[in-house]
Amino acid sequence: MKKNCIKKVKKGTKKGTGPFFFMEFSPGRIRLSRKRGLSPFFLIVLLLLVFSCPLHAYVGPGAGFAFLSSFLIIFLTFILALFSFLSWPFRFLMRVIKGQRAYKKSNIDRLIILGLDGMEPSLVEKYMSEGKLPHFSKIKKMGVYAKLQTTTPAISPVAWSSFMTGTSPSKHNIFDFLSRNPKNYLPDLSSARIGKPQKIFSLGKYDIPLSKPKIKNLRKSIPFWKILGKKGIFCTILRVPITFPPEKFRGHLLSGMCTPDMKGGQGTFSFYTSDKDKIKQREGGINIPVTIKKDKIETYISGPENTLLRKGEDIRLPLAITIDRAKDKALLEVSGQKITLNMHTFSDWIKLTFRPGLGLKIKAIGRFYISQIHPHLEMYLTPLNIDPEKPALPISHPFIYSIYLGKLLGSFITLGEANDTWALNEGILSEEAFLELTYSNHREWEKMFFNALDKTKKGLVTCVFETTDSIQHMFWRYLDKDHPALERGQAKMSAKVIEELYEKMDELVGKTLEKIDGRSVFIIMSDHGFKSFRRGVNLNSWLHLNGYLSLKEGKKESEEWFKDVDWEKSRAYALGLAGIYINQKGREAKGTIPSGEEMKAIKKELISRLTGLRDEGDNSTAINTIFDRDELPSGPYKENCPDLIVGYNEGYRISWDSVTGKVNSTVFEDNTKAWSGDHCIDPRIVPGIFFCNQKINAKSPSIMDIAPTILELFGLEVPSHMDGQPLIDVQNLSFGYNKKRRKK
Amino acid sequence: MMWIFNSVFGKIFVLLFYPFQSMSPWIGMILISFLTALLMLFVYRSTSNQQGIREVKNKIKAHLLELWLFKDSLSLTLKAQGKILRYNSKYIGYSLKPLLVMIIPLILILIQLSLWFGYQALDPGQKAILVVKLKEGQNPLHIDIAVEPSSGIDIEIPPVRIEEEGEINWRLHAKEKGIHDLTLIIDGRRITKEVAVNQKALSRISPAKVRRNFIDELFHPKEAPLPGNLPIKKIEVKYPSKSMNLFGLNLPWWLVYFALAIIFGFTFKGIFKVEI
Repeated sequence: MKKNCIKKVKKGTKKGTGPFFFMEFSPGRIRLSRKRGLSPFFLIVLLLLVFSCPLHAYVGPGAGFAFLSSFLIIFLTFILALFSFLSWPFRFLMRVIKGQRAYKKSNIDRLIILGLDGMEPSLVEKYMSEGKLPHFSKIKKMGVYAKLQTTTPAISPVAWSSFMTGTSPSKHNIFDFLSRNPKNYLPDLSSARIGKPQKIFSLGKYDIPLSKPKIKNLRKSIPFWKILGKKGIFCTILRVPITFPPEKFRGHLLSGMCTPDMKGGQGTFSFYTSDKDKIKQREGGINIPVTIKKDKIETYISGPENTLLRKGEDIRLPLAITIDRAKDKALLEVSGQKITLNMHTFSDWIKLTFRPGLGLKIKAIGRFYISQIHPHLEMYLTPLNIDPEKPALPISHPFIYSIYLGKLLGSFITLGEANDTWALNEGILSEEAFLELTYSNHREWEKMFFNALDKTKKGLVTCVFETTDSIQHMFWRYLDKDHPALERGQAKMSAKVIEELYEKMDELVGKTLEKIDGRSVFIIMSDHGFKSFRRGVNLNSWLHLNGYLSLKEGKKESEEWFKDVDWEKSRAYALGLAGIYINQKGREAKGTIPSGEEMKAIKKELISRLTGLRDEGDNSTAINTIFDRDELPSGPYKENCPDLIVGYNEGYRISWDSVTGKVNSTVFEDNTKAWSGDHCIDPRIVPGIFFCNQKINAKSPSIMDIAPTILELFGLEVPSHMDGQPLIDVQNLSFGYNKKRRKK
Repeated sequence: MMWIFNSVFGKIFVLLFYPFQSMSPWIGMILISFLTALLMLFVYRSTSNQQGIREVKNKIKAHLLELWLFKDSLSLTLKAQGKILRYNSKYIGYSLKPLLVMIIPLILILIQLSLWFGYQALDPGQKAILVVKLKEGQNPLHIDIAVEPSSGIDIEIPPVRIEEEGEINWRLHAKEKGIHDLTLIIDGRRITKEVAVNQKALSRISPAKVRRNFIDELFHPKEAPLPGNLPIKKIEVKYPSKSMNLFGLNLPWWLVYFALAIIFGFTFKGIFKVEI
């Protein structure tokens, strides 16, 4: 859901006596070196040089290639090591002078936070009671397990922003995936804005940028890792949502949710098919029709928009496909590479080079999957990811961190919304293929996480895995026997999918536990829980049918993004996953409701009418409550909050059409998509999970309490602007388990 | 057999350098370095574990970046250095196979190039030493040997017989431009040895004529070997060595060849998609 709505918003002998005079070396040179008393390292280098000369003579440039590269590596290593050794005392001294000896006051050595996006407490409790999550149970026994209060609304970017800042949404400015532009009633991505370069040099058909495009992080307040970094505590932050663009701090960060793909959206897959019947409008992807001639296909990869051209158009990369029908495989030729791909197998990450012109190159990575060869070819290409080794946009801090991870671990997914839920929703990927791709992404993150753990003996490591969120969104229907999607959608699997997901996460927890020693604190948490999404509520249709949203004369329905709405006669509209906005005069471009009493009155009226809204078709209550922003915790960015936030009942959520601003006469509709579980509902019924190997002093912890807890654990003062409270009494920290492990 | 091979292989170089004989030796050097680079790239691509090299280079780069990313941690820095050295050894290991494959063709090329770029022909009026090296057990004082002057070469003084070195030396005096055949009379048998005087900028000069022996013939490919029943193993003219002049700097030809081939190799590796 989130991805869908975001998407729509829119690289001789002796010298001179024979041919081999140079083959000999003079031992005298070595003796001379010794007399001069060179260091052992220089002696090694010299020996390598001297011994290498005859080698060159025998094999010439071939050896030169190897020697030159090897020698440069050794030389560079030596220089960097020397710099590191010589500068270390000064850097240590500087940290002392700056008062950055934070570990002196720290109550712990290391804090590990494992974020499992969307892990649902009721399922964790069920599976723990059935003995299926032994490692979760172990941590509960060591410390605590509790439900974790989420944010209002219960949406990942909002909740994770509160996690990192310890504040309510009004202080960090993230209220949804989308924010609305009051000037045109159109949605914007709430977390970041990528602008055009300010200086451009026009040359013929080209607009050559003379400055970098401005990328602005719209999340406000200060994440806890910045505070820790200032005090010299090293942090590695991996894939935490709303960290694009990456901010500078003393530590390493790899951006997570909301990092765009190469097309600038939140993930656009490509579907290649020779079947004309399959060419239709697709959410989250594009169709590329192909024609097969003698088992050969000449097609293209639709790349990023060519911003060099004044008249923008997508850069196309030629792609040739040769089909081997007998062996159910195909040969792909792209960017000078030949890839043999078997049917029902994902390719590795393929490096793709787009050439916008003027000799420039834009690098991307993607994976191919052939779902069918005959009678028609059907092939899927993942959204084009930013190549971590040659990032077109900064996706890490420092910039080289993603390059480092790419070189060390191989190419990995960089897209924020990593798991392609829309490809499954649209039937482009089968459930099996989706799971294969999702777990493949998960393994990449596991590698990064454990690499960070191995490198961080003191400090903090946080990694968020969105595997849990994606799989629950797409397979929840197997837990709900009454789900409409079971009858009308793709349903070949069983509830075992979710169970296996939780067991896999338990394995991850187990592997992490093995890495814990010393004064380490281990927290496992989720930002929200999950519930079934059976019925969609088109709030805009309800507003229209109840006289709050008017359509242009003669119109009975409105196309996407309120195309046919008469704003001058409208009083309220719904946009995003949970928000209702009043068409306020002086704020909205064509506002009709004055601020003050009239505003209060209409909000009161809407709260009254929508609270307890009944779905007669299902004989259920669709909306539990409506939250008035004026009654939510205050903060400097409260003005950007929707006027009302809708708390849907379990089983309900905003409908697919309403999110995209479509208005019609249907308020309630069955959700028949594979996307069958959700959490954009009443936050009180979708708390997250909280596990810690330490006892806590709160019965009902909140996600906003995590950041103050972290600061307290490292012996730092909690800033007064934070809304959360430390959860752990540092006087009662216990590392008994670890001592036993160490003794063993 | 070796002589036939040397003749054919040598002709290839004659044809290759023919258009550039009157030009600066740099032209020929650039051409052969470029062709060598292409050969190297082809051999590297065909015989090496390209994926392995790619992976090991990535690991090295990652650990180099690690030195910077974890500069505050001495233990991590040391570990990264250890890994760099370990992967560097692996990288060298991956390079061994193409190196072994390249050894033979490159030795042959280098031998040929030494004839073209290693020696300076004598100038008219210039003097040089002619050395006749005797076989083991032969005494220079008891050998019946004489050199006949030719129209282009004079013999200045009687031979100097050096018993300790097992050799007999003459001093030659170049008179006329051209390739001259000096005739040596050994135990009544006539043997010729060519002497080059004032040749073109790029010319093939043979410093020695050797006995019939695989190694000796391999390294001295231009002239036909000496008959086997003679008491001598080598006839050699001590030509001045030639160097490549670069902005007043005299560089050994092999160094220039080596450097240019590497530069061309690195320049074109991307085009030919070769991981070095």
